[in-house]
Amino acid sequence: MNPQIDQQLEATARYIDGLPRETGDWLLGQRQAAAQRFSDIGYPQSRQEAWKYTGIDGLLSHDFETVETDREFPRHAVIRQYLKEPVAGRLVFVDGEYQADLSEVQAPGLHLGSLRAAMASGDHQALSRVGILSGVGEHGFAALNLATLHDGAVIRVEEGVQIESPLELLHVTTRASEGCALRSRHLVILGADSSASLIERYISLDDSVSCFNNLVCEVSLARGARLNHQRVQLEGCQTYHLSEVHLGLEADAHYQGVQASLGGAWSRTLIHNQFNASGANCELDGLYMAGDGQLTDIHLDVDHAVPHCDSRENFKGILSGAGKAVFDGLIQVREQAQKSNAHLHNANLMLSRRAEIDTKPQLVILADDVQCSHGTTVGQLDSQALFYLRSRGLDPVRARHLMCLGFAGEIIDRFSSESLRETINEVIRRKIEATV
Amino acid sequence: MLSIKNLTANVDGKEILKGIDLEVKAGEVHAIMGPNGSGKSTLAHILSGRDGYQVTGGEVRFRGQDLLSLEIEERAQQGVFLAMQYPVELPGVNNMTFLRESMNAIRRARGEDEIDTVSFMKRVREKAKAVKLDEKLLKRSVNAGFSGGEKKRNEILQLAMLEPYLAILDETDSGLDIDALRTVADGVNMMRSPERSMIVVTHYQRLLDYIEPDHVHVLAGGRIIRSGGKELALELEARGYGWLLEEAAA
Repeated sequence: MNPQIDQQLEATARYIDGLPRETGDWLLGQRQAAAQRFSDIGYPQSRQEAWKYTGIDGLLSHDFETVETDREFPRHAVIRQYLKEPVAGRLVFVDGEYQADLSEVQAPGLHLGSLRAAMASGDHQALSRVGILSGVGEHGFAALNLATLHDGAVIRVEEGVQIESPLELLHVTTRASEGCALRSRHLVILGADSSASLIERYISLDDSVSCFNNLVCEVSLARGARLNHQRVQLEGCQTYHLSEVHLGLEADAHYQGVQASLGGAWSRTLIHNQFNASGANCELDGLYMAGDGQLTDIHLDVDHAVPHCDSRENFKGILSGAGKAVFDGLIQVREQAQKSNAHLHNANLMLSRRAEIDTKPQLVILADDVQCSHGTTVGQLDSQALFYLRSRGLDPVRARHLMCLGFAGEIIDRFSSESLRETINEVIRRKIEATV
Repeated sequence: MLSIKNLTANVDGKEILKGIDLEVKAGEVHAIMGPNGSGKSTLAHILSGRDGYQVTGGEVRFRGQDLLSLEIEERAQQGVFLAMQYPVELPGVNNMTFLRESMNAIRRARGEDEIDTVSFMKRVREKAKAVKLDEKLLKRSVNAGFSGGEKKRNEILQLAMLEPYLAILDETDSGLDIDALRTVADGVNMMRSPERSMIVVTHYQRLLDYIEPDHVHVLAGGRIIRSGGKELALELEARGYGWLLEEAAA
């Protein structure tokens, strides 16, 4: 046996034993099944296709621990990170723990709370959703998330309720997370014909903190529900970030997702969409950036298992310095999924000769009456265009910045919050400055 | 304004400019004509700082400065403007944003305040109207999907917005029908002033029917082989370049 796996198994057993069992429902059965799963499969191996280009040696070498401590943190620094725009509700997590006093909750038909509170009170309406879309865990990290999940957001919108302003889900790490593995699980449940928009962000207050953010988000949209989901990962340069978003769409549901993976030393996002009934639509847009010392990995798994569903995926990467990115986008159209529309596009802009992209768009079509396309491009900034901009007085940094914004603009424009768009522009500018 | 002395330059090791001398005073319009491959565009590009050319000798002074030692953007900031033969498409870069960024970069370099939104909008609308550029194109990506004529009008719009001291028009007439040519020429004429000089690089005389030059130079084989007044252009129109080339060879 691998000593690292044994060590992790012991820590996991300790964590599960330490849970308060007297009251509530702490998902013990699922946790134990997940621990067993981890024991069976261990950590991902580089010979597995999905992990071939994304090494985990660096991540494992840190021995990030699952610990519980009382943490102090600078409250005002967290508050300063709030979205500038008004929100319909706010859930704040600091170092993986829900902060009730920093959160603003409840509008008619909208329920916001923490998964830990749901476990403590045995709230079955929420808890019955855990693992429905994610399963026990495709790989070891996902299994560990379920086995030792600590907290997370529970967002429920009742049938027919339309939430106009966005909901904010803010996850902040501080110095106190140093050396820790944070395991959160968010549940987003939209009732039939309801609609909402959710802005989910991951940021570090301390750029140098080294921790592992291992999170799973399960999003279920009932018949006719609509969710606009904006995700931004802008964590410190020593952070490891592993996100899984599992989507389950019922008939005529519409999911509009856009995400930006900008920070972290090592960051991997999997978005898995499952169409459960006809007429649903899934749109995924994303921007990823990686510079010196960064690896960013995007995995998409869009499964057309029923007829008459549409999906569209558009991901763009800007790579600088010795940055590395992996894009693996899979669309499967099963035999019975006639009249599917599925279009996948991936474009990459390389700002440096040392940057690397491993991109693999895949379309597996078993039905014969579908409209599908996929494509990928890898290119550099056009030197003629650069000359043109400079000949109009723009310095090389600003010229490159404008061209990168031109490249990424269609993705950035899908973020509804102006302050968020400005933040993304600023990150792009900083990366380009570091390149020139 | 501009003084070029014995300028020689290579492209890929081949000598293209073999000793150019040119004096352009403030307020003057100079036309540079010549057969294909004579070095006209090379000269225009070297003045604007485009790479791919090796200057092997001579000097260029612009408003008292050594022009060739300046970066591309510094030349623009000091007041050099090149209207390009083939304006580049910039997908995703909004035309209006581009114009404003450009104006402000130049203003900042000159120690001036950035232009406010209201004044900018007023000015861009007014100038777009003057060069007959559809306002819709201001909201689109720079030159992306523009017709040949629209691209050239967009160049003249930039010229009008940026108000350089020296405007170099590189084959601005190429690919234009007669109406577009007239509009572009009107735009250029609108910009004529005692403080501004222009160099009009063209293969054909027809542009000079609309933009009347003070001086005409014939560039052939990397040298200016004849200079004269606007009547020289008319003579070229009537007789072609052959007689001049023969005289120069003799």
